[in-house]
Amino acid sequence: MGASMSISSLFGKLFGSKEVRILMLGLDAAGKTTILYKLKLNQTMTTLPTVGFNVETFTYRNIKFNMWDVGGQDKIRPLWRHYYSGAQGLVFVVDSSDHRRIDEAKTELHRILNDLEMSNCLLLVLANKQDLEGAMDPQTITEKLELSKLKDRPWFVQPAIAIEGEGLPEGFGWLSDNIKKSPRYTGK
Amino acid sequence: MASAHAALPALPRADSFASLAHGTGLQPRRPLSTIPTPPLLATETLQSARPTRSPQPAPGRTSELDRTSDLSAKGKTMSTGTRASSHHSSLSAGEHPRSDAAVRRPRRLRSQYPRGSAEMHVEYILVASFDIDRGPVMEHQYPVAITGDEHMLAELMLPDQAHVRNQDWTIFFLHKDTTQEEEDAERRAREERRARRNRKRDRAKGIIHESDDEDEEGGGLGDDDDDWDDDVSTDTEPEIGEGPPLVYVLNLVNTKQDKTVKRGAVVKAMAICTRHPFLHIYKPILLLALEEYFKAPVPETLAMLYNAVNEMDLSLMPKLSFLERHLLQSSDNKDLFVEKFEQMIQARIAEEAGADVNRPFDASNEPPKRPTIFRSGSKAHVEGHAAYVVPRDTHEFESKVMYKGIPIPVKVPVAVMPEIVGDFSLIKLIQNFSDPHSKTPQTFPLHPHLTTNGPNTHPIIVLVNALLTQKRIVFLGHNMPSGEVAEAVLAACALASGGILRSFTRYAFPYTDLTKIDDLLKVPGFIAGVTNPTFEHHPEWWDLLCDLPTGKIKISSKIEPAPITEGLVYFQQQNPAYANLVHNSSSSSGSSSSNDLTGDVAFMADIMRSIATRAGERVIRAKWRAWVLKFTRIAAAFEESVYGASALYIGSDEPEADIAAAHGHGYVWVDEATKARELAGNVTRIEGWRNTRSYYSFIQDVARLYTIRPLKGLDLAHLHDRLRAQRLTPAQSREIYDTLARYVRSYDEICLLLSVAPESQAGLFYVALGLFHRDREVRFRTADLLERIAEHEAGQHWWRALSRFEKLAYARIRREADAEARARLEREDAGRFSPVDHNRVS
Repeated sequence: MGASMSISSLFGKLFGSKEVRILMLGLDAAGKTTILYKLKLNQTMTTLPTVGFNVETFTYRNIKFNMWDVGGQDKIRPLWRHYYSGAQGLVFVVDSSDHRRIDEAKTELHRILNDLEMSNCLLLVLANKQDLEGAMDPQTITEKLELSKLKDRPWFVQPAIAIEGEGLPEGFGWLSDNIKKSPRYTGK
Repeated sequence: MASAHAALPALPRADSFASLAHGTGLQPRRPLSTIPTPPLLATETLQSARPTRSPQPAPGRTSELDRTSDLSAKGKTMSTGTRASSHHSSLSAGEHPRSDAAVRRPRRLRSQYPRGSAEMHVEYILVASFDIDRGPVMEHQYPVAITGDEHMLAELMLPDQAHVRNQDWTIFFLHKDTTQEEEDAERRAREERRARRNRKRDRAKGIIHESDDEDEEGGGLGDDDDDWDDDVSTDTEPEIGEGPPLVYVLNLVNTKQDKTVKRGAVVKAMAICTRHPFLHIYKPILLLALEEYFKAPVPETLAMLYNAVNEMDLSLMPKLSFLERHLLQSSDNKDLFVEKFEQMIQARIAEEAGADVNRPFDASNEPPKRPTIFRSGSKAHVEGHAAYVVPRDTHEFESKVMYKGIPIPVKVPVAVMPEIVGDFSLIKLIQNFSDPHSKTPQTFPLHPHLTTNGPNTHPIIVLVNALLTQKRIVFLGHNMPSGEVAEAVLAACALASGGILRSFTRYAFPYTDLTKIDDLLKVPGFIAGVTNPTFEHHPEWWDLLCDLPTGKIKISSKIEPAPITEGLVYFQQQNPAYANLVHNSSSSSGSSSSNDLTGDVAFMADIMRSIATRAGERVIRAKWRAWVLKFTRIAAAFEESVYGASALYIGSDEPEADIAAAHGHGYVWVDEATKARELAGNVTRIEGWRNTRSYYSFIQDVARLYTIRPLKGLDLAHLHDRLRAQRLTPAQSREIYDTLARYVRSYDEICLLLSVAPESQAGLFYVALGLFHRDREVRFRTADLLERIAEHEAGQHWWRALSRFEKLAYARIRREADAEARARLEREDAGRFSPVDHNRVS
């Protein structure tokens, strides 16, 4: 493996298109798969519940995103941890209109961030479904998710309407800016 | 001969075994009494008449005398029985036809899947679906729920990314251990069935006498189906198995868009659970049944499928012996053993016509006129006159499943070999990992068990080494249907097994996902198929990652280094000249990669050439089989030379076993230097193979096969290899030809000889070379042997494949022998006895 590894990282440096691994998680029906395909294809697709996961690679602002979208049903949430290793950013998608389950979302988010493998990971929270009636605003989401408890970790809450693509450029703009700053991206 | 040997060495060998294979749960050898020797076996009658004199000088003259008498009795053709009597004068002439028949028909023919057997084709039908809120759930199970974790099953039935495909297949295995209670219940049920059958037979026939059974041994095919019992088969040939058989699950998952349901789609999966390894035959039926289930999601839909598949009639498929299965599997001939199919049908026709089912029926009688048997696909068959058909290709038995009034054709493999599960292609597997390698050669980090040809070892060899040395192997097929991943896993199992080694499928997970990872990691050494690329990011989970889309094989950075073993050290001490060739992690790799010590470079080149010239799947499987066989024989030779003993080969080591001692055994090399080099190339992987599951189960198999093997004292493969590989003096080759001609007589013995001379290699070429031996007697005896083979049910195909040149030589020798015998007769008639004139043949 040694030889092939060094070659691929050499090309990486030459062309400046290093791949970063982003993990997108959230409760079921939060809109993860819709976001993934909006970013990848710039199309709104009717998505089916994800059995397992989706993974796509796309380039955004000169950064090659390798983005993982993992199914959100509570039965399969224990599998999330297997996707942690090597992830540089976490996109946590929240259904802003789902008041009933925001607490559940908070618990899951903190469980993810407490994992050792996620300790250096950026956090982007997408407060999705802002178009729906009674959607919580970013401030409420921040409070409900208790983000102020997070120390030493860049985080950002972005309101979004995934089916329209609204908020995605801002959110992923923040993500790519911070990835470019991170020591892991700029070199060894 | 066979039985005499079986009795004597059993005890001492079993002891030496136990000490070699400590703690592997080696089963004690069965007492001989439970192994019924096949009826009509020629050797049976010979056992009391062991040759007491030296084998060499006698046969020539006596045979001539015998031949004379035989000729007078039978006319032109030579009876194979003559040869038997030439060595063993104690045999009376009356026994000739007995041994003659034995060459052709060894034992009564049984059905592989008899009618009325309690064994079901399919044991369970399952349906699962993906619930929007709860994830995978089991909806129905039929006829009863499979014991075990229902949720786990539902997860396996709904593979990752099922939502992006309309349809996907998966395969997985269940280890359903039968508890003591279940076993007892099964046994009770079996006994009851048997009693019931006996009662039925009583009623049908009136009183039965003890001797009835013996009469039927002659070949009473008629009531076979009725007389069948599981334990009969296990007694006839020890069953090859490791614990209860696996339950194989074939699963179909469909995703249907449906605007009326929450989130717009329904994902449902239906699975068939069977203990037969040919689960792929159910694919078309499962497609129809799942479609039906979408319309009618009720247990009755499952019941309908369950009944349909279990009504499939395979009762006309003959049961083959171990050697016959091996011959059939490694042969490409579509007619091999076609006679057995015909006999099954004849018996059935006789049975249905109410004919006398006890009429002895074997090849010694001409089969009666056949009213309605045609070859499948033949003109007569197509025109619809045939009630019964013989399969087009004897490798596959053709039957059908009636599902909702539609007959669905199925083809069931006749020779089921261990570790061959489902439908896969070795060619596809080999090409998948060879093509990228041939374009941009891959270099591997060194690992003694895996990179036996240095950093440039062929990826397929790395894979097979990893399988042999029980590594954790993952096949990853991101964005591929899980069915394709499963196929690769099944192919890999078959690759390393060759139908010879076991314990791969039992630890295979043709399709698995992240939910099972914790359990998977508890298994020491596995072969798993996954579609989730996250596996690639966890090198601590696997030793070898085979990425199907790119065709790249990766050795894990976290693989455990191979230990320095005693065998390795001993070998280097014993062979200082070759010690440097042994490829281990400490030595530099340069030397071993440049020269092909293992022969694998040449082997892979040959495989790739065969594939390029469009050789079929069977040819490639036969070649791999030969590779695995060679590996086991080299391992045996290695153990004998390094450890002084090996449980990988059992010969007769009784002091009076003159023939064994005289003829040697094991793999044959041209010379000692070649041997040392090849061993040096193989040391590390042999040492890695020892202590694996497949190694220990192979030892058990060798021990079990020994009990059923004919010619226990002889290693026919060794003799044949010497003819093939070595430069022999005329005296040496004479000895080998004499041995073959003298001992290879019965049906089973000829099967054994055919199995060491497969059609795919040279066939009978090296045996037939005896027709050109300098020594006239050798030529005569070889001709006799070839005649026996030509009359043999399988041997006739090998005989036909001989070249015209060899057949002409045979005819010439025959004429010569006949003329000579006639001349002698005339002389005897004239009342004068003079020494035979030894004419020289050109």
